[in-house]
Amino acid sequence: MIETRCYVIALHDNGRVAEETYETAAFARRYVAADPCVVVLSGGGEIEPLAGRLADRTGLTVIGLAGDIVREYCAEAYTASLISFLRKKGNAFVCIPHTARGIDFAPQLSVGIGACCITAVEGAGEGTFIRSVYSGRFRSEVRPETPSAVLTVMPGAFKPEKGAMQGPGSVKIVPLRAFELSTKTRGTREAVHANMTLSRAEVVVSAGRGLGSAENLRLVEMLSGIFPKSAIGATRGVCDLGWLDYSHQIGTTGNTVAPRLYLACGISGAVQHVSGMKNSQLIVAINTDPDASIFRTAHFGIVEDLKVFIPLLVDMYREKHGDGDA
Amino acid sequence: MHKQTCSVIKICNGFQECGEKTVKILVCVKQVYDSPDTLVFNESSGRVEFGSHTVFRMNRYDEYAVEEALRIRERITGVAVDAVSVGPDRVRKTIRRALEMGADHGIHIRTGCETDLDPLERAHLIASLARGRRYDLILTGVMAEDDMQSQVGGLLAGILGFTCATGIISLEMHGNPREILLEREIEGGRRECLTLGFPCVLTIQSGINTPRYPSLSHVLRARSEELELIEAPSPAPSPPLLSVKRFLLPEEGEKGEIITGTPGEKAARLLSILREHSLL
Repeated sequence: MIETRCYVIALHDNGRVAEETYETAAFARRYVAADPCVVVLSGGGEIEPLAGRLADRTGLTVIGLAGDIVREYCAEAYTASLISFLRKKGNAFVCIPHTARGIDFAPQLSVGIGACCITAVEGAGEGTFIRSVYSGRFRSEVRPETPSAVLTVMPGAFKPEKGAMQGPGSVKIVPLRAFELSTKTRGTREAVHANMTLSRAEVVVSAGRGLGSAENLRLVEMLSGIFPKSAIGATRGVCDLGWLDYSHQIGTTGNTVAPRLYLACGISGAVQHVSGMKNSQLIVAINTDPDASIFRTAHFGIVEDLKVFIPLLVDMYREKHGDGDA
Repeated sequence: MHKQTCSVIKICNGFQECGEKTVKILVCVKQVYDSPDTLVFNESSGRVEFGSHTVFRMNRYDEYAVEEALRIRERITGVAVDAVSVGPDRVRKTIRRALEMGADHGIHIRTGCETDLDPLERAHLIASLARGRRYDLILTGVMAEDDMQSQVGGLLAGILGFTCATGIISLEMHGNPREILLEREIEGGRRECLTLGFPCVLTIQSGINTPRYPSLSHVLRARSEELELIEAPSPAPSPPLLSVKRFLLPEEGEKGEIITGTPGEKAARLLSILREHSLL
C-alpha cells in the first residue's frame, strides 16, 4: 500500500459503467490507498444517476465532473478537465482502466500533472507495479520515482470487490468549465464485424500466426469439423495478414467469446487476444513454442507442430467414430 | 510539470528544409527484436538482454503508420513525410526501411545506451526535434511490440500541446485538407468517430492498411540518402520519472497441464479429455 491521495477514473458508455472501472477501484483500494475517490465525467443530465450507481456499488466517495464538453467521450475534453481538477489536489495516484478509452488519454494526463505513467498494470509489489513486456515473455517491476503517478490497470487482472462493505459512498458534483474543443466527436458505430456464429458456438477453434501460412487454415477447418457446433476464430495478427476477415477476430478489439471449448492453434497468447477468450470453460493450446504465454492461460497445452498434430488427431478421432459423415 | 529544453540537442548534420510543403508529417518508428525467442534473461543482473542471434526490424504497428503517411501524401499534394527513430546505431536500418517504403527524409536521434529507454524519455527526445519543425501531423503505431506501453504518441501530444487520438482504424481527408475524419477502434469491434484538426498526434492500429513492400527504385534511392543525425544528450537532462526494479519471468504455477508423450499419445490423451468434458 502506497497511502497517497488516489483517484479512480470511471469509464462509461451510454450510461453503463464499464466493468473495468470496478476492477480498477479494487486494485486502487488494495495497492494504492484505502479510500480512493472515484471520478466520473458526464453531461449535467446523466451525472447524478451515474455517480449514484458508482457510490452504491463501490462504497467510495464519488466526484462527478459535470459539463457538456464531456457529454460524449473525448480525449481532449477528458484530459483538460482532469488536469484542471487534479492540479488543485496536489500529489496523487490516478488509476484508469486500460481500455481503448483509458489508454487514449492516460499518457497526456500524466504529462499535464507531472506524473509518471505506467500502463497495463497487472500486478503490484511493495510500492512497485508489475506489467508484461517482450511479447509477454517477461514481466517488469517498476517503481514510480515521482509523488504522482498515472496507472492504467489491465482488464481482468483484478477482481472487483463484491458490493460496498461500508454502505454507499457520498456523491459530490463539480461543474466543469466549458472551453473550445478542437475535436469534434461524431458518435460511435456498432461493431462492423460482429459474428453471431462465433458468439453462439460451443467450440471455437482459433488460428494464430504460428499457423505459418493461409494455406494451413485448412488444418483449423479440419479440426473444427469434428465438433458439431463449432466456429473459427483468429488473432488480430491473422486478420491483419488477410488470412481471415476481421469478423473472426477474437480479443480486446474483436469478438469476446466464452465457449465450452476454446482450441488455440499457433497462438502466442498476447494479452489483447487472451482478454477475448479467457472465460472459456476449457482452453486447450497447441503451439510449437513451449514458452508461448498461451500455455499459462490454457488448461491443457500441447507442444507440437500443427501440421503434424492436427491431421493425426483428426484421423484418430475418425477411426473411432467412423467417417464422421453421418 | 516535467519539461526538457530542446537547446541541449545538437544538430550534427544540417537538415533539408521542407520548403513549400503544405502538410508536414513525422512518423515515429521504433526498432524491435524480430522474435522474443532470441531474448536472454540474465539471472545475475536480473535484466533481459538481446541474444547473439537477435535480429531487429521495424515495430509492425509503426509499419502501418508509415504506410498511412505515404497514403496521405498520395492523396493530397504538397506533403512531406519524415521518419524518426530513437536509439543506438542499429536503428538506422529501421529508418532506412521507412525511406525504402517511400518516406522523404530520415532522422536518427542517437542514444548511447543499448537498453530500452522509457517512453517519456523517448517522447521528450522526439518532441525536442518536432518543436522547431512545425509538423502538422505526427503518426506512430498504437504500441511497440517490445515494451507494450502504448504511450509515446500520447506523451508527445501532451508535451507538444497537440490533440491526440489513438487506435486509428480509418483516416480520411476530404474538402478541408487540414481536417481529418477518423475512426478509432474501441472494445468489441465498435468504432468511435471523430474529426481532428492539425496539429495532432495519431496512433495507428494494425489492419488500417496493408503496408507496402519497398519498391526497387525506393530501395536504391534510400541507399544514397543521408540520414540526419541528432545526438541525444547524455545523460538525459532530467532523471526518469520511474525506475525498472527488475525483470521477472512469467508467474509459474499458473500453467495448465502440458500433455507429454509421443504425438500419438498426446492426441489420444486430448481426445479422452474432450470426451470427459462431453465435447465429442
